[in-house]
Amino acid sequence: MNQHLNIEAADRRFGWFMSAPALAMLLAVILFPVFWALFTSIHDYTLIAPNFDTFTGFANYVSALQDAEFRHSLRITAFFVFVVVLIEFVIGFGVALMLNSVERFKPIYYGILLCPLLMNPVIVGLIWRMFLHPSLGIVNYLLSVASIAPVNWLGSTKVAMWTIVMVDIWHQVSFMIVLLLAGLSALPKEPYEAARVDGAGTFKAFRHITLPLMWPVIIVTLLIRLIFAVKTYDLVYIMTRGGPGTATDLASYFIYRKAFVSLNVGEASAMAAILLMLILLLTSYLYRYMRTLT
Amino acid sequence: MLRRLLLGVAIAAGLSAPASAETVTILMEGVPDTEYIKTLVPEFTKQTGIDVNLEVVNYAEMHTKLVPQLVAGKGSYSALVVDFYWVGEFTKAGWLLPLDERIAADKFDTSVYIPKMMDLVGKVDGVTYMLPFYNYAMGLLYRKDLLADPKNQADFKAKYGKDLGVPKTWDEYLKQVEFFTKDGMHGVVNQGLRPDPIAMEWSNYLFANGGEYHDANWKATLNTEAGVKAVEQYATNIEKYGPLGAASFSFDEAFNVMAQGKSYSYITYNFFRAGIDDPSKSSVVGNVEIMAVPGPTPEQGGSLNGAWGWAIPKSSPNPDAAWTFLKWVESHDIAKKRALQGGSPTRTDVFDDPEVNAKYPYAQAMKQMLLTSHNFPVFTYTPQLVEVLGRELSLAVAKEKSPAEALAAVEAEMTELAKKDGKLQ
Repeated sequence: MNQHLNIEAADRRFGWFMSAPALAMLLAVILFPVFWALFTSIHDYTLIAPNFDTFTGFANYVSALQDAEFRHSLRITAFFVFVVVLIEFVIGFGVALMLNSVERFKPIYYGILLCPLLMNPVIVGLIWRMFLHPSLGIVNYLLSVASIAPVNWLGSTKVAMWTIVMVDIWHQVSFMIVLLLAGLSALPKEPYEAARVDGAGTFKAFRHITLPLMWPVIIVTLLIRLIFAVKTYDLVYIMTRGGPGTATDLASYFIYRKAFVSLNVGEASAMAAILLMLILLLTSYLYRYMRTLT
Repeated sequence: MLRRLLLGVAIAAGLSAPASAETVTILMEGVPDTEYIKTLVPEFTKQTGIDVNLEVVNYAEMHTKLVPQLVAGKGSYSALVVDFYWVGEFTKAGWLLPLDERIAADKFDTSVYIPKMMDLVGKVDGVTYMLPFYNYAMGLLYRKDLLADPKNQADFKAKYGKDLGVPKTWDEYLKQVEFFTKDGMHGVVNQGLRPDPIAMEWSNYLFANGGEYHDANWKATLNTEAGVKAVEQYATNIEKYGPLGAASFSFDEAFNVMAQGKSYSYITYNFFRAGIDDPSKSSVVGNVEIMAVPGPTPEQGGSLNGAWGWAIPKSSPNPDAAWTFLKWVESHDIAKKRALQGGSPTRTDVFDDPEVNAKYPYAQAMKQMLLTSHNFPVFTYTPQLVEVLGRELSLAVAKEKSPAEALAAVEAEMTELAKKDGKLQ
């Protein structure tokens, strides 16, 4: 009995020993910056006077929340995230279901789908900026061939956000497809065979077998995509700089400017902490929801 | 054998050491003027025995690379080039070495510089921190072939009762913008992207209407008749007389519209004057000329000034060698050689040099542009002011705010920034 305990303790020690390097690494590159940012957010820390001399408590948080521009950027970020995740999921799941039943040329489809995903967002932004040039770009040219009036893709406050959404979908939808497809191909075959014997049609099988079995994968996919979507920055930086007006001023780009243009790292850290808090709340809710399913 | 080899290596090392005793390292932006300097540097090394290492990066990387080196006690850059945007920040933080003693000791003449240049990237509060390097003031690119066309001249006379010619005042120019918007042509193309393109371009509109950013005491003077008119004209030009989408154009996109011959005019940085005559980029080679942005009267101009200056950081590992380089690179001969390659001068004696004028007939227009130009507010928070200005102007162009509302918002934030910086009491 005693010996058994000893072995267990030794095992545990060995486990800690083996994971120590990785944990130290994580501590250094993730936890430390997070705590540094939190610490900065309660000080008057600017790039003009980079020091922690003035403790300000929650003043940075208060002024961040009082900033109408910041609240506006949170609102449109929420809108952007909701729309891109939803549309990408619908398209992604549809394509994944179709691809799942494909037998031949699968690697070719994979290859084509992965192309946009492998591209750097900055390059995606630049390419689309050229495509969407109102008078010299190819998109409006093709529209004109079909006698459709040219569209002001990035220069109109009503259209610009949807343009960014469209480009983001083009860029990121394969991520959804690939993840959901991996989930689909890992599903067991037996329930489907049993259902067919019992006379269930395709739709019924989807509704009662595929969906319930896929839920955990779907939630994780949505979660990952959602977190990435909140951080969208490059596309806006390259394509619109938050304009026209403030139509596409997403939160990440707003916070970046607070830190590196306004040089106010303290308040920018507070804004980042607020964003982190919102993402954490959402994540923990979805995570719990997933646990109740399994 | 081995011993002889080692001896050889030692002698070679000993001989080569004095030749590369000192190296001047400078971080520079990848622009034409940097390329011209590169071709001239071997002369300097031959004269002084000092090696020069130019580290060339793009603009976006410069500030983030510079600051850690400037904060350090001993950085790796011997000398710097400073954009006028950063002058306030760099001097306020105390990162630059005052040059007055060295200038006096070597009798380096700074009176040859155009005074506006010294104000922008030379002196701060009476202390000389920089020598002006090159200027990128904004000017008006216009289609001289369209102005010379007899039919246009007759039509213009019939419509406005005045002769069509190079615009002498801002109002005359605006009439031409309206006139040339016909048959698929646009009177003007604007760069309406946030924040720098729109803020810099609109500044010309402000000055052209006789406005300024602030008075002598740094009290903001934007929400005035001139300011409101400037915003209205800017929004009208984008909406009525410009191509679709100009509200989101950066300068490359706007330049392309001009270079494709689809616009009569474009207010932009002076370095695009050379680009418009490059057949690989432009279909209007030889048809475009540049001039100072016209002002409210023929004597006044509306151009926005812009420039880079040479400086020596306090963290410089070898300030003496750096000064030797600065003296050389800003000497008349080298500044002239750079101008002859196509570089953009800051010295009057280079602007007036016969050889430079023979090669570049628009040199005098460029000089005029500087002489009548206006400076953007230079203080610690210049980049932040550009940011606020860009946002509010873009909102006004999008019709989400009235010109007066937008300008009032800029004034409020500008006042706060000026107070924070101690400029405004």
